[in-house]
Amino acid sequence: MIFRERVTPNVDLNFLGTAIVLAIIGCMLVYSATFFNEPNLGTFKRQMLWVAIGIALAIIILFVDYHVLFDVAPILYGIGIILLIYLLIWGQLTANVKSWIRIGGFQFQPSEFMKVFTALMLARYFDSNDRAYLDMRSFLVVMGIIGLPVVLIAVQPDFGTAASFAPLVAVAMFFGGIRPRVWAAMILIVAISLPIGWSMFLKPYQRERVLIFLNPERDPRGDGYQVIQAKIAIGSGGIHGKGFTRGTQGKFGFIPEHHTDFIFAVLGEEWGFVGVVVVLGLYLYLIVQAMTFAKHARDRGGTFLIICLISFFIFHILINVSMQIGILPTTGIPLPLISYGGSSTMMFFIAIGLIANVDMRRFVNA
Amino acid sequence: MRVYRDDQKFLQFRINAVLWGIVAAFVFLAGSFWFVQGVQAEKYRGLSEANALREIEIPAKRGLIMDRNGKILADNQPAYSLQIDRVVMKPLLKADKQRRQRLEAFLSLVLEIPQQELTARWDKEAAKLPATQPFTIAEDLSMAQVAKIQAQSIAFPEVHVMPVQRRNYAYGTMAAHVLGFIGEVGDKELAQNEALEQGDLIGKRGVELMYDQYLRGKDGAEFWEYDADGRRLSEYVPARQNPIPGDNIYLTLDFELQRRAEQYFIENEMVGAAVVLDPRNGEVLAMVSSPAFNPNVYSKRFTPETWKTITSNPFKIELNRAIQGLYSPGSVFKIVMAMAGLSEGAVGPETDFGCGGSGVFFGRRFRCWKKEGHGSVDVERALKVSCDIYFYQTGARLGVDKIKEYANRLTFGEISHIDLDGERSGLVPSTKWRAEHPVKGDPKWYPAETISVSIGQGPLIVTPLQVANMTAAVANGGKVFQPHVVRYVDRVQRDGSYKRFRVPSRVIHEVELSPSALRAVRQGLWDVVNAQGGTGGNARVPGLDVAGKTGSVQVIAYSGWIKATSLPFKFRDHAWFASFAPANNPQMVVVVFVEHGGAGGADAAPLAKLLFESRFRDKVGGTRLDLSNPETLEQIKEGELPLPTTR
Repeated sequence: MIFRERVTPNVDLNFLGTAIVLAIIGCMLVYSATFFNEPNLGTFKRQMLWVAIGIALAIIILFVDYHVLFDVAPILYGIGIILLIYLLIWGQLTANVKSWIRIGGFQFQPSEFMKVFTALMLARYFDSNDRAYLDMRSFLVVMGIIGLPVVLIAVQPDFGTAASFAPLVAVAMFFGGIRPRVWAAMILIVAISLPIGWSMFLKPYQRERVLIFLNPERDPRGDGYQVIQAKIAIGSGGIHGKGFTRGTQGKFGFIPEHHTDFIFAVLGEEWGFVGVVVVLGLYLYLIVQAMTFAKHARDRGGTFLIICLISFFIFHILINVSMQIGILPTTGIPLPLISYGGSSTMMFFIAIGLIANVDMRRFVNA
Repeated sequence: MRVYRDDQKFLQFRINAVLWGIVAAFVFLAGSFWFVQGVQAEKYRGLSEANALREIEIPAKRGLIMDRNGKILADNQPAYSLQIDRVVMKPLLKADKQRRQRLEAFLSLVLEIPQQELTARWDKEAAKLPATQPFTIAEDLSMAQVAKIQAQSIAFPEVHVMPVQRRNYAYGTMAAHVLGFIGEVGDKELAQNEALEQGDLIGKRGVELMYDQYLRGKDGAEFWEYDADGRRLSEYVPARQNPIPGDNIYLTLDFELQRRAEQYFIENEMVGAAVVLDPRNGEVLAMVSSPAFNPNVYSKRFTPETWKTITSNPFKIELNRAIQGLYSPGSVFKIVMAMAGLSEGAVGPETDFGCGGSGVFFGRRFRCWKKEGHGSVDVERALKVSCDIYFYQTGARLGVDKIKEYANRLTFGEISHIDLDGERSGLVPSTKWRAEHPVKGDPKWYPAETISVSIGQGPLIVTPLQVANMTAAVANGGKVFQPHVVRYVDRVQRDGSYKRFRVPSRVIHEVELSPSALRAVRQGLWDVVNAQGGTGGNARVPGLDVAGKTGSVQVIAYSGWIKATSLPFKFRDHAWFASFAPANNPQMVVVVFVEHGGAGGADAAPLAKLLFESRFRDKVGGTRLDLSNPETLEQIKEGELPLPTTR
């Protein structure tokens, strides 16, 4: 029985606490961004609810040994794949993308939960595979595990979410191990396929995004507008910021998506450089702790599970924060634990729970 | 091949390597933010202040609509709207929870609207726009109301009196069906046109609708500075985007002809339509549908009462009878029959059918309208006296499908693509049509039915515009132009001058007519008006060669010969008169249709005479319409037509 293990004293409260502090900062930013246009504070209240559910899910997950999860991983993965296929066939278009499933009054994105399931599946595979380098067969298996959901999500077509599976590929290749000559071959293939993909697979609006990223002046009122407005918000915040709810860029609607993808700009405007450094510091602290857990995990599966999950955080944080000031092009990638959104908030809290779960069971005789 | 086993040490090394990479990335990000927030902060602070500007839309001036000589029929007049600014109101509301109720009570007093209605309007209009945009709660304030509200502007800073442009049709109901009206954009139009925004006013009917993209112009914007609490500071002038006014439109309508034609219907309390065309290019010189609605009613906020008045009107005032009214053409269709018969060689200019008052065709007896008969009739005389027997004979020789072929070429049975909305095609029967629309399961067209069609009865239905198109084709020798009501569109250029776009004349059909056939038909039509015993003598203008054709259409079936005026109004015949002048060099086509008018010669022809006299007054010594008479003008401005009563 799980309770006999008496594992709770081993929970790293620093780690969980960091995540919760980030989520509280997120709720405050959501409030600040939306209170002006939404007197009933609906968005803010929903985000509070998502965070509460997320924390509850993380705690529940602590009680289930992650090895049990490895055992059921194929089932979870299979359910996720079935939901994605269901979406393709019967899903309803929302903003030209079939990515939402509605149950009663609630709706969620299976693609978000698929990230956790895929990570579990991958970790389970590496638990039993301890080669220093992946051979061709295991390489194909790994790529298959990641590739199946990516393809199903890409045809929704939700390229932003599909691209957020990229960190798993990086983990598989860097930590799973690839021979130097395979690295060279792959770099060559990417270099060749890049121009082909550009002309054949990217939709015109996606090409336009890349071009605008390279030259924001190309369209100052359109896509480039977001970045310009976000930069104005962040820059005008200065060192100390304008103060809680005192920002004008966010609440007057100059920053589009001010409570989701561009919430970091609201942080920059109202809390200034100090706020930015504090939040980046909290994120770094979270990552360093998780990586430390990974090094001390009881087994190879635990190590890989943590690395896979934290790689999502790293990817989302780096991409999202970079796009705020135009270092990277604008994509629909939320900021972990801070951006408004039910599915993504819950997904990241589940990931936090799983990482703590692995750490909690680091002692063989616990 | 050797298999290398991964070891814990190597794995830890890789984890550490990644960790240092991430630390480096975070340091780089923090450095980038330092650059934006520390080094460049001043620059962005300035931009942010400029950004605290809120955009307030300045609606573009809608283009003018004028008659062909530049007389203004539709313009814009200054009016005042009342707006509530929620950005200003928000902090005030925090200090005083009862503020909205107090404000509503005040406005209810000034506007003389019950407070409940004001509350309902507030909720409805506020929901349409984001909270950063002011919403309109009342329109068309009187100067007294404006003064009362301005006097309280310190107590209620969230209330703005906005000067706006109100569409104004100076002559009320005049040319209402051609001008159309405007209204607030609907969801369907918003979905179809990306340039439109919620709350925009757009054309809904007539020229206002068809030429909306020209008339609308492009809205501009003012930018007002606000502080973080939403208090309005001042306008940021450099960002101002001036609106681009809409294009001015010159109609082909001639004010004087239009006015005279409408007055004729009003004074005689007639229901009907008139179309005046230039047969040389398809320009519509006048288009009347009477009674008409007053488009000014639509430019204002609807009250349920005005809506009820419009929809419940028994005369269907929104219907443009000239292009949407479908009627049997009656005897005016005999012109088509004569042209088809002569062109096809079914009859020659000399062919003579005797008329004895009735005749048997395909086993049934058909009567001529004249019991005593017309005796010897060739095509000229048949048109002049409107002999039915002659055209029964012609129809019997042609057959219904040949008749349809000619009717179609003269735009009957199809729309002529006039630049107005809702044009209807009417119906020209044929054997094919009957096969698709069987009567009680019988898909066969009986030749006896062709006999009715030959005198413009039976299933055949047409619009007054189609009759005008046909008459124009006879007048100009066989060309059917695409009729149009807009002459040119003037677009204002950057330097303030206008660039003129002309609406081109386009021939849509051509009917081959031999010169001898054309001469015979024109002679017959000239006889109708000018010769002794013609049915259209009432259209005779001394000094001008008017050619025309009368028509009377039975509304109910009655057997035998009955004097039409003895019947009650709604059972009386419809009256038609189709004409052109001068006969040898036609410059103007007049078609008049009077619902339940009785006889074409008596009720419809006098208007044609009036219009010819007006147009060719230099030649025939007619008088100009006296517009300086204030009484006349007052009557025009008020615009509400006295509705015809049942006689």
